[in-house]
Amino acid sequence: MIRHRQLLVGFALVLLLGLAVTAEIPLHEFEQALHGIPVNDIDAMLGAIELGFGQPDFPAEQLLRLIDRLAGRPAPAIEKEAVLRVITHAIEEGLPIEGMVDKAFEGLARSVPMAQLENGLQQLHILLAEIRDLLYSRGIFSAGPGAQSTAINALPIERFNLLVLHISEAIDSYLSGGGSPFESQLLFEEVHERLTQLQGVILDPMDVELVFERINPSDLTQVALTAVS
Amino acid sequence: MTTDRFEDLLRSTLKAETEAAADRIADLEDRVILEIEERSPKLLWHEWLRQLLAPTTGSRIGQLLVVGATAAVFLFVGMGISSNLLRNNASPRLSLQPVRAADGTQEVLFVLPAMDAENVAVVGSFNSWEETQLSDQDGDGIWTASIPLSPGRYEYAFLIDGRWWGQDPLADEYVQSFGEFSSVRYIGRGGDEV
Repeated sequence: MIRHRQLLVGFALVLLLGLAVTAEIPLHEFEQALHGIPVNDIDAMLGAIELGFGQPDFPAEQLLRLIDRLAGRPAPAIEKEAVLRVITHAIEEGLPIEGMVDKAFEGLARSVPMAQLENGLQQLHILLAEIRDLLYSRGIFSAGPGAQSTAINALPIERFNLLVLHISEAIDSYLSGGGSPFESQLLFEEVHERLTQLQGVILDPMDVELVFERINPSDLTQVALTAVS
Repeated sequence: MTTDRFEDLLRSTLKAETEAAADRIADLEDRVILEIEERSPKLLWHEWLRQLLAPTTGSRIGQLLVVGATAAVFLFVGMGISSNLLRNNASPRLSLQPVRAADGTQEVLFVLPAMDAENVAVVGSFNSWEETQLSDQDGDGIWTASIPLSPGRYEYAFLIDGRWWGQDPLADEYVQSFGEFSSVRYIGRGGDEV
C-alpha cells in the first residue's frame, strides 16, 4: 500500500516537473534566435534574458517573437542589435519591459527606421527608470516577488511595475504627441487620466491614490525633461 | 262631465290608432339600424386610421389611449418575436457591447466602414501588431472582427489595403506614436475590483 502511494507521488512530481519545463521557453531558443540577427555580444544578451526569467510577468514569449521579427527585418545587424540592447539593459536594471517590447513591435509594423525605433525605446527606457526612482524617492516601494505587502507603501512588485509602466507610457505618449515637458499641468492630467481609467481594472485604486498623494506636476516635468534631454 | 267624456274619446281613439300601426312600428328599430348601415360609406383600413387620428372636438385622449394600447400590443408581440430570434441566432459579432467571460476576457468588436476595400485588418498591442483580418461577409462595406481581450488598455490601428488608419470612431482616445495616430480602447472599465 505504501509502495503504491510512493509510486503515485513520484508520478505526480514527474508530471509537475514536465509541466514546469514546458511552460518556460528554454534559453537555447533565444540563442538560436539571436544568431539569426546576428548579434556580436550574444553571451551578454543571453545573460540579461536569463536574468529576466526571474522577474515577475517577464514577457519571454513576446521577446522571443520580437527577436525573430527583428531577424527578418532587412536592416544592418548592428542597428538591430542596438534596438535589442536597449531592451536587455532595461531587463538588467529590473525594469518592466512589456511596454518596450510592444513599442518595438509597433515600430517594426510601421516600418520605422531602426535609429528612430532605438530612440523611441531609449526614451521609454529612461522614463521607466526615472519613474521608478521617483516612486522610490516618494516612499513608494516594491516588495519582493510573491511577497505580501505589510505597509501601504510597500506594494507587491507586480502592482508596483504596473504603476511604473503606465505612468511612463502616459508621459511617453504625451511627449510623442508633441506635448511640452514644461506644461506641467497638462502632463500631470495625461498621467492622471491614464491611471484613473485603469484603476479598478488592472490597477489597484489604493495604489493610484497613493501615487497622486505623493507626486505632483513638477515631479513629472522633471522626469520628462530628463527623457528628452 | 263634458271633459271626462272628451278624455275617454281621445284615449279610445289613440288606442285604436296605435293598434292599427302596431305592425309597422314593431321592426322599426331594426330597420333604422339597417338603413344607417347601408347608407354609411365603407371605410378602407387607412381611411379608418385617418379618421381615428383626425382631430375632433370630442375625446382626443380616448383616441390616444386606443392608439397607445395598439402600439403597446404591437411592441409586446414584436419583443416576443425578436427575443426568440436573437435567442436562436445569438452571436457576439452582432453587438457592440463586449461579452464578458468568466475569466474577465471580453469579446470586443472592431468595426470599420471601408466601402471599396479589398482587405481590412487590425493590428495592435493585443496581437503583437500582427494583422488580424476583418471580414465583410455580406459585402456591404462594413468590416468586422471580434477579438477576445482581457481587461486593460490597448492601442491599435486598422490596415485598409495596406494603408494605416489610426483613428477608429469607436475608440476611447487617440495617441501619437512614431509620428502616426493610434486608437486606444480601455477594456473592463467599471468592472471587478483588482
